[in-house]
Amino acid sequence: MSNRFGLPNLGVGIGLRTAHYGRILETRPEVDWFEILSENFMQTAGRPLYFLDAVADRYPVAMHGVSLSIGSTDPIDRAYLTELRALRDRTRAKWVSDHLCWTGVAGRNTHDLLPMPYTEEALRHVVARVRHVQDFLGAPLALENPSTYVEFSSSSMPEWEFLARVAEEADCALLLDVNNVYVSAFNHGFDPQAYFAAVPFDRVVQLHVAGHTRHETHIVDTHIGPVEDHVWRLLGDAWQRTGGVSVLLEWDAEIPSFEETHGEALKAKSFMARAA
Amino acid sequence: MNRYAIDVSHVRDRASATLEAKPGRARAADPKPAARRRPAKDAALRDEQLWFARAVMSPDSGEASSLEGEAAERLTASARMGAFDRLDVYRRGYATRLVECLVDDYPVLCHALGEDRFDELCRAYILAHPSDGPNLNFFGRHMAAFCRAEAPEPFPERAFAADLATLEWTIVEVIHAPASDPLTAEGLRDVPMEAWAGARLVANTASKLLAFDYPVNAYFQTVRTDGDPSLPSPLPSATVVYRSGPSVWRMDLTVPMFEVLRSLFGRETLETALSRGHAALGDLDETQAAQRVLAWFREWVSSGLFAGVELG
Repeated sequence: MSNRFGLPNLGVGIGLRTAHYGRILETRPEVDWFEILSENFMQTAGRPLYFLDAVADRYPVAMHGVSLSIGSTDPIDRAYLTELRALRDRTRAKWVSDHLCWTGVAGRNTHDLLPMPYTEEALRHVVARVRHVQDFLGAPLALENPSTYVEFSSSSMPEWEFLARVAEEADCALLLDVNNVYVSAFNHGFDPQAYFAAVPFDRVVQLHVAGHTRHETHIVDTHIGPVEDHVWRLLGDAWQRTGGVSVLLEWDAEIPSFEETHGEALKAKSFMARAA
Repeated sequence: MNRYAIDVSHVRDRASATLEAKPGRARAADPKPAARRRPAKDAALRDEQLWFARAVMSPDSGEASSLEGEAAERLTASARMGAFDRLDVYRRGYATRLVECLVDDYPVLCHALGEDRFDELCRAYILAHPSDGPNLNFFGRHMAAFCRAEAPEPFPERAFAADLATLEWTIVEVIHAPASDPLTAEGLRDVPMEAWAGARLVANTASKLLAFDYPVNAYFQTVRTDGDPSLPSPLPSATVVYRSGPSVWRMDLTVPMFEVLRSLFGRETLETALSRGHAALGDLDETQAAQRVLAWFREWVSSGLFAGVELG
């Protein structure tokens, strides 16, 4: 199976981080692709774009945002969308992704990926907004499942059903973060396989892996350290179910050298091969 | 002239990871009341979000006990955690994320005050100026004014902190400012000799001229080169911060240099700027002063401080 949107399989990439700019631009290492954090290159006309242009000229990129706030009951920020679209055009990004969450309300922004109540009302709300965003971008939006630490009493369906129904009813793409599935499964006590069984894998255009921080009572999605084997195995499983899509490692805390980060990402290939 | 560069890793990425807080730190800021009329169809979702945002953004003190009961009603417990403890993962992360952003923007102010006092300052700032936009690039923009007029007492370093915050925020502004194509020596040669006196220079948009009551650039540079200087006494100083390609630079200025550059950045004519330089260089005759100013001018042009020249 390949994704229904015809988006390319870019291979195994890493998140573009400032700590690696110098190494990347000086030595032009072989990397399949980079994912950029959209907001790092928005509301700026300066140095960040200098580096971004140099990277986008040499490597395929996809955009990953944290502030679309698709689930918020505040109005969609049209200025944000306009800038997002301009950045997509500037970088020739293969696709634009963000999270199935909200980040703020009543004009305030927490800059966190806050959880949705999984209700019919929330479903209708998100579907309408995804459709609006896709119309604006003129392209499918890829929604990522976030890590969550709470569940609302008002929820009437599990996260995987909500995610699948949003994708189907809004006709959008999915960015499946297998680390987030693992983290949320631990935090809420569900089986990741139940999650995978509900995901419409023909809509998945990208997979995320990352490290996390394990506590006695819960796991936090810190994007720190090497990826655990449980998560790599989920990646292999998910990758097989997609028929082959782009894979990306996120490493955002105590970021090691470019070589170590890229080397960790390339471990994905052995788990993808085993799954295949 | 002393010039200092800012390393590219000065600005950290804003990522999608969940941050974990250091223990025992407070939160900040209720979301402001809803300003728009909501369609009834989103009413329940709106209500959940307003409550959750208030719970996440409210300080620990005074709110926790009432939140525990509300959390138990609105959220479920897991096998290992109660509803409020689960909510607390978000509560702890909120201020931590914003404090980290301010540490990125104000690393030397953090050094000057020490981590704990800077953390307290940031939490007061977050309470006074919660983020109201999708982007963190400019979240810290009020810090200098906050230090000068709003930060709670005791704050004996208030004036120095405000100056230092001004310098650090200017660096952020220059990082993100659009850069004009710099005026070059070749471009200057096109200016007819008789037009020089009435010519006005256009400052590069990625350059900012600053005057301080404290020697904050010297302090900044010492800290950046791994020093740990004591906080300086008041001493007027001036600095120009500018970007050349991707590199951000800080250049110290003497009082005469500052007077001339302020005149030029203020679009006064070259003749006026030169006369201000002569006045500031009181011990030099007119020819010596002109030669001195010309040498500065060459340095500033080669540094890319100007974008063009307008002829009267």
